[in-house]
Amino acid sequence: MTPKQAIRLGFRRFVTLLLISSALVWLVSEAAFQLQKDENDRAPQVYELVIPFGTAAEVSAGQKVPEIPEEMVFVVGDMLVVRNEDVSDHQLGPLWIPAGASASLLMEKAERTAYSCSFQNTKYLGLLVQESTTIGTRFAALALAAPATAMFLFVYSLIIWPLNPREKDKKTVSTSTGEIGADL
Amino acid sequence: MGVAILVGFGIVYTTLTYARPYTYQGSLIEPPVPAPDFELVDQHRQPFRLSEHKDKVILIFFGYSHCPDVCPVTLTDFKKIKAQLGDQSEDVAFLLITTDPERDTPEQLMNYLKNFDPEFVGLTDERSLMEPVWQDYGVYQAKVESDDPDNYLVDHSARTYIIDKNGNLRLTYLFGTGSEVIAKDVAYMLKEN
Repeated sequence: MTPKQAIRLGFRRFVTLLLISSALVWLVSEAAFQLQKDENDRAPQVYELVIPFGTAAEVSAGQKVPEIPEEMVFVVGDMLVVRNEDVSDHQLGPLWIPAGASASLLMEKAERTAYSCSFQNTKYLGLLVQESTTIGTRFAALALAAPATAMFLFVYSLIIWPLNPREKDKKTVSTSTGEIGADL
Repeated sequence: MGVAILVGFGIVYTTLTYARPYTYQGSLIEPPVPAPDFELVDQHRQPFRLSEHKDKVILIFFGYSHCPDVCPVTLTDFKKIKAQLGDQSEDVAFLLITTDPERDTPEQLMNYLKNFDPEFVGLTDERSLMEPVWQDYGVYQAKVESDDPDNYLVDHSARTYIIDKNGNLRLTYLFGTGSEVIAKDVAYMLKEN
């Protein structure tokens, strides 16, 4: 077997094993995902929070404002849009929300933060941002694991089934060798 | 065939990534609202009226020259943003509006801003004239009690505001937002305008 033939056979085997590995890794990771997923394993979404008319007056009067959970849970990539229907400007941490407008906050990284907030009686609003397992992360896992698995299987296969040309290829090799010999 | 599948995946992924419309990374104000106007004094003792600078995208930060942490970090970020914008930065103005008018005289601001970029604009005035500006922009500021009347800290909000060329308040950023993120948004806003 010539080196060129060995490379061709090896490449063909590796590609085949890569496809098999991709299928295997996908099956295993999907099974694990389905068994372990929770409500935060989802694609990023947009959430809207409305500050109703009269909130600033109610807060300054110490009255109870419409209930907002003191801590809200998001996943990375979610966007919180705060719509201000009040007559006063409001703020939530980095957000400055002029009266009659809305402002958005993109949850860029997993973290737990407490922002000062002008529309809560407590003056604080906690945000918990978690990493989620999305289709993107699942593909990333596949992209990382499949080549490594394929390489492992490839090396293992070389020990179990060393590269050998098929009978048809062998005949071609011997024929061509014979022809070369005859020419010589 | 395997290679063709992999290349196909690569093309689809690249197309999906780069074909998306641009999304501002800062907190986008919708619909844009007119930025509250003000007239203050700059570091050259010249009056500076916001509405007279509609030809530029304006970045505003409220801070003070004796600030030990947030303000120098933000001004360093402003410097990086300016560098990243390159020639486009000619259409951008960087403002530091004081939260400590008693100590931040025009001369003090001039000396302070020289440490970052002398083209940055430092604005100050009497407290009574500063207070409406702070209020209009939702800026919190409070002196921290100290035994030394000349050596005190000032607590203040650390938001960065961006005003577009139409004089509208468009974006705000949390302290610590990367300069490259803000530079990208500003570059897109310049293109959009």
